This record gives sequence, C-alpha cells and structure tokens, in this order.
Amino acid sequence: MTVAACLFFVALLAPSLLAQSEPGRPARLRFEEISQKAGVSHVHHIRTFKGKKGDVLGMFTSGGASVAVTDYDGDGWDDFFLTDSQEGEANRLYRNRGNGTFADVTQSAGVGGGNDARSIVADALWFDYDNDGRADLLVVRFGTPLLYHNQGGGNFKDVSATSGLNKFGNTVAAIAFDYDRDGYLDLMLGNYFKSENLLDLKTPHVLPNDLDNAVNGGGVTLWRGDGHGRFTEVTEKAGFARHSGWTLDIGHGDFDNDGLQDVYLACDYGTDRIFFNNGDGSFRETTEKALGYDTKKGMNAEAADYDNDGWLDIYVTNITDEYMKECNMLWHNNHDGTFTDLSKETGTCDTLWGWGAKFGDFDNDAWQDLFAVNGLRSAGKDNFIPVLVNMIITPGIDFTDINNWPDIGDMSWSGFQKKKLFLNLGADTFKEMSADAGVDNDLDGRGVALADFDNDGLLDIFQTNANQRVLLYHNQSPNPGRWVGLKLVGTKSNRDAIGTRVTLRAGNRSLIREVSGGNGYSAQSSTRLHFGLGAADRIESLEIRWPSGLVQKLDVPLDRISYIKEGTGMIAAPAASEGTPK
Amino acid sequence: MSRLNAFLLLILFTASSGTARGVEPTAADNHYREAIKAVSAKDYTTALTEFELALDIDPDNLRFASDYRQAVILAKQYDRCLGFFEKLVTAAPAASNAYLNYGFAYVDKIPDAGAITQVILANKSLSLFSRSIELKPSWIAYYTRGNSSLFWPKIFGRTPLGVADLEEAMKLQKTENKRGFHVRAYIALGDGYWKMGELDKARTLWREGLAQFPGTSPLVERLAVEGDPLKALIDGMYDPNKRVDTNLHELWTD
Repeated sequence: MTVAACLFFVALLAPSLLAQSEPGRPARLRFEEISQKAGVSHVHHIRTFKGKKGDVLGMFTSGGASVAVTDYDGDGWDDFFLTDSQEGEANRLYRNRGNGTFADVTQSAGVGGGNDARSIVADALWFDYDNDGRADLLVVRFGTPLLYHNQGGGNFKDVSATSGLNKFGNTVAAIAFDYDRDGYLDLMLGNYFKSENLLDLKTPHVLPNDLDNAVNGGGVTLWRGDGHGRFTEVTEKAGFARHSGWTLDIGHGDFDNDGLQDVYLACDYGTDRIFFNNGDGSFRETTEKALGYDTKKGMNAEAADYDNDGWLDIYVTNITDEYMKECNMLWHNNHDGTFTDLSKETGTCDTLWGWGAKFGDFDNDAWQDLFAVNGLRSAGKDNFIPVLVNMIITPGIDFTDINNWPDIGDMSWSGFQKKKLFLNLGADTFKEMSADAGVDNDLDGRGVALADFDNDGLLDIFQTNANQRVLLYHNQSPNPGRWVGLKLVGTKSNRDAIGTRVTLRAGNRSLIREVSGGNGYSAQSSTRLHFGLGAADRIESLEIRWPSGLVQKLDVPLDRISYIKEGTGMIAAPAASEGTPK
Repeated sequence: MSRLNAFLLLILFTASSGTARGVEPTAADNHYREAIKAVSAKDYTTALTEFELALDIDPDNLRFASDYRQAVILAKQYDRCLGFFEKLVTAAPAASNAYLNYGFAYVDKIPDAGAITQVILANKSLSLFSRSIELKPSWIAYYTRGNSSLFWPKIFGRTPLGVADLEEAMKLQKTENKRGFHVRAYIALGDGYWKMGELDKARTLWREGLAQFPGTSPLVERLAVEGDPLKALIDGMYDPNKRVDTNLHELWTD
C-alpha cells in the first residue's frame, strides 16, 4: 500500500474514530440541560376533555407542546414562545436577557391566551407579516387562529378579528413562506381532524377511517398575505384542496433548485404528499412519482442538505415501535424531482414513536447532524398497546367511531423513550450518540427548535414535551470548528427572508442553507442561519439568492453573526448582542 | 437464479412430468396445467382464473392452492385471492388445506400492507390456521400457526402459544419419516424458546437440529452468535415488512 493510499484510508476512518466516546476523552457532542438555571419553568398540559370518551379525545390531541423561536424585540438575542393546551392555562413568552437567563414576559406582552372552552392551542409561529421589522405571532388552535401584531416595546395587539383567518380548523401545524414571491409572507396551516369542534362534538365519527390510508382528515389550507395583516384563502386555487389527509406537519423548501418554494406534507395514518411550485400561484402534486404512496404515520417534515450535494433532502419521522415497524424516511434528493429513502442505509431509520426532528451542525464540522424526539405517553406500568390491538383486530370495527376506542386510563403507550442524536459522519452515515452527548432524556418529546441562544457559535436545542416540562440544552461541545451566523433582512423580498438560499463554499465543500418558516413538528427554529466550517479557516465564496431573485455575493467574517440586508450587504448588528464565540 | 425463475422451473418441471398427482388427468388437473402455462407466459389473469377453476373442483388440494397464491403474489391480486378463498371455504367447509391456504393468503398480503393493517391481517391468518388444525391436525398446520405466532411482539402474549404449536409439530415429525422441511421446526422452536428467554433450551434444540440436518445455514448462524447479534438475527427473521416464503413446494418435492 502506498503512503497516499494509507493516508486516504486513515482519512476515511477518521470521522468514525472521532465519533467514538473513549474513556478519558470528552464526547464530540456535549450538551447540558439548563432550563431551570435559565429560569424557564414552563410545563405543558394536554387538554382534558369532558364526557364519556374524553379519555380517547385526550389521546388523539396529545400534541400541542410547541416552541417558536425568534428575536421578537430585535436586541440580537433569540427569544421563544411556548404553548400550553389546557383550558385556562397560559402560553408563555420568554425574553432572552443575554446572560444565560430568560424572563417570562407573557403578562406584559399579552400573548398568554388562546385556551378556552371552544379552542385548544396546538402550535405557534413567528413571522413578520407586514414587513415592519418586528416579528408578529400566530397561535394556531383546534379552533380559529390568533394573530398578534408586534407593536414594538414588548407589546402585542390581537388582530385576529381583522386578519381574515376566521376559518375553523383543527390546526396543528403552520408555516410562513412567500409562495407567490410578492414580497409578503403567506401561511399554510396543517389540520389534523376534519373541521369538527372536538369540544362540542355533533358526531362520534371523527377518528381516522383507516389507520394506514385515512382520507378523512383536515388537509391543509393556504392563506395569501397582503402585507397589511389580511389573509385570503387560496387553498383550491393553489391546488391543495384535494388533500384530505391527517396533516401533522408541513415542510417547505426549494426541492428542485428552481428558486421556488415547494411543500412536503407529513401525514398521520397514510401517505405523505409533495407539491412542487409552478411559479404561477399554483402547485402540482407529484407524490406518486417523487416518493411513492406510503401507509406510514408521518409526524415531522424537516428539510436540509445533509450530504452537502447542493440539494435539499427531507427527513420524516414515523413510528418504529413494539407493533409498528415503519422506519423513518430520509428522502435523499435525486436531483430530478424524485427522492429515495435512505433512512436504513444512513442509520436514521429508528427513532421509536417519532415526533419532531431537526438538522443542525452541532459541532461545526460542516456536516449537519440530526436530533429527533419521541415518546407518546409515559404513565403507569401497564401497557396500552395490547388493549388497543384488541380493538384494532375486532372484525368489522368502525375506527371513525370514538365510542369504539378503549380508554387509556393510567396506562403508558410507547412512553419512556430515549431521544436520538445522530452525528453526521459524512458519506451518508450517521452515528447515534444521545447518551454520550447528554440528551438521552425519556420525556414525551414533541417539538425541537434549534437556536444559538447565547450567541456563542454553537446551536443549542430546545425540546418541548407533552404534559411535561420543557428542556433547554446548552451546547458545550468541545473543540468545535469555526462558524458563520447570518441574519438576513429582506427588502424587496419578505423581511424575514424566509425562503432565501445561501450557498457557502469553504474547505472545498459547498454548503447550503435556507431560511425556514417553521419546518418541523411543533417547533420553529431561529431564522438565523448557522454554518459550521469544519477545518476550514476561510470562506471561499458566499452567495445569497433572495426570494425576489436577487443574487448577492459578499464576504462575511468568521465566528460572528453577520446581519445582511437584501441589496445592501452587511449592516450593523443590534448593540450588545455579542456572545462568547467558541 | 431468481426466486421467480426457480419457482417457474419447478412448477413447469412437475407439470410436464405427468399430472399433479401422478394419475390420469382430471378436469382439475387440466385447469391446473393451463394455469401453469399462463403463469409462464405471465398471463396472470388467465392463470388465476384457471387455478380457481382447479380449486373449485378440488378445494383441499394443497398444491393447487399454494401455486395459486404464488401466482397471486406475482400479480399482486391479494384481495381477489382472499375473496376467492372466502367463497371456497364456504363451499367446502371441511377442506382443512383450503383454510390453511386462506390463512397464507392473508400472510402473503402483509408485506404490502401498512403497519396497522399488518396486525389485522396477521390476526386473521391465525384464526384460519386454527380452523385448519381443528379440521385436520397436521405438521404443516401446527408449524405454520406456531411460526406465525412468533411474529407477534412479546407483549401480546402469543409466544407461548407459538411454542406449544411448534412443540406439537416437533412431536409429529418425530413420528414420521425424516423429511428435509422438518429442520424448520428446529429453527422456529428454538427461536420461540429464545423469545421466551430460554436461551440454553434454544441452543440445545438448534444443536439437535444441526445434528439431524448438518450444514443448515440458519442453525449454524444462530449458534455462531450471542447477545445483540443473535437478537438482531432473530428479529430480522420476524420482520413483518419482509416477505415470508409461503411456497409449500417442499411438502411434495422433498
């Protein structure tokens, strides 16, 4: 073997060797759970339903533990909003003090409401609908949405009544994106049940008509924003009206590199769906050709270029459990409008009863890692699954009828599951290392949001849990690579720059990121883009493709968060937003 | 050689070497031959119709039914097959082999079904295997029901039932002349013991099977590993998403 061959061999082995946690050597990824220390004490509560079958409805609505991250006060530090679902319980807005702690400012902001006798809060989303530079807040519900306008100074005004968002839906997912590239953000809402108020049931036939191929769910609605706080429904015109699945999550991104934002729908009890943007205000569904129809329980739709080939891939969690062996889907983009599931090949197939999952480069090695949460219900020692299966195998059973479903009482159902953190080793390989990294909690996870809360150049993790407290993991990974943070400000494009594609070349690698408008179940990550550079100590090129079509090339410093304005370039960061870069 | 080619070769060989049962062709045999010809021509519509005509005449014919199901798998006409067997067992309620194949028809559909539907199909197949045993206890019926029970996760409590069936199959095979397919009971029963946490008993049985059937790969593989690798090996064998080979040709070719 030549020296060159030896070196090549060593280079191939190096990533996997580095991933091992050896005695006396710190793990490559390391997190500390700091929620209590940071003053974040929020506990989510699922809704308690009254009536004979309230127990069953409680099971079917056991999401709703969400987090939405943004810098709502423009001070350069990411803040977050947390939801609750129980009647009378408040959602919470936490302001980042910039010193590792957060202040609960819910009361002064006036955004705690939403859980009433006819509505259940299920998800939240920050987006600047009027391009005034301040993040506004959408709270979606089993009910009608709430829209708060950010007035500045930490004050919000409820503008729901004039927003046009007055259609009842059992909404569990929301994304903001500018599907028609008019410079104003639009909304897509994902609905789980059909439009029947679960708090005032008129019929018991509200549950899935098939547990693998259900077509009686709530589908999605698409709302076009006019930039002044009014939204008009365009679901049918845009081509989404035929979808009647049990939508659990929506992911958007430019999946075919044509500059337009496409949509992936993760659906429970049946096939996911993918829609490509025609560029004329309509979408075409290509599920059969692009993915094939599936029978799985889609829970999460996250988009990222995990293999650094310049094309967005999609990660969907499903259920891989004691009696359902579905496997997740890591849809590798084939560059031709089709995708191939490589979850088994990459080692990301099994995250048990999956929920939210997010890609992020946690060690700044230029490869995006993956954190996935799981677990449905951790309660008593008895297992609900045999009870449930007895119902499922009853000949001729009508699954839609709530009266046919058994009560769960104090039983557990796919609970106490350890979370999964996959380190991306490159070459289409991930290594699960949640225990070494300190994130292998067994709470009933729902949402995962990523943000660099202390501006130190490492992505932190926020995890929400159903009926349980939240977790905030501070990233303390040793020896990370160098990094770049980008906060983009649209001018002709939407101000949040959602849908903007950044391509960064460093160390002979081309890395892409897109600003997301809420991808991933029950959690919105920061809209700041984060690039790890690995061993590279300089950027070869940085190109920004804005939704308006403008392409900007510029230089940015390493190990800093740069603020970039469309058409202008670098602008000043908010005062006092500097963290402690690693 | 692909499984499909091997299958076609096998059935063409047996069809051309006389009648299915070595006697003068009956009307059922003639339909069966036409079915085989149609399968080789990939004319599955004709094949399925001819198989069904053969089974209408001879509903308890294990071979007709087994080959019919293999053609159904190729044609992906699972629901047609299930509908046919439902009518067949109504018309011939004492045909134990028809019930057995009716159960297999549900098993054949499992890999193409969603995770919840798999549970429903698996449960239906078990009840049909039970009916087959009630009508005529046999090695194949006990082995089939026992092996099927091992696919159920432990929490459903079906593993001991599967072990009991496989022990019954083992008893039966020890009273018969040794046949090649009898090794299957050693493998499955050992797996059942392993699932019950009785590793020593499992290994003893696998060793006994290997002594009886030297060189049998699944036994060698099981005896070569322990712990997680053994778990991975056995879990892989009972993955509902993998197609189970339900071709019964060993029963008449071995």
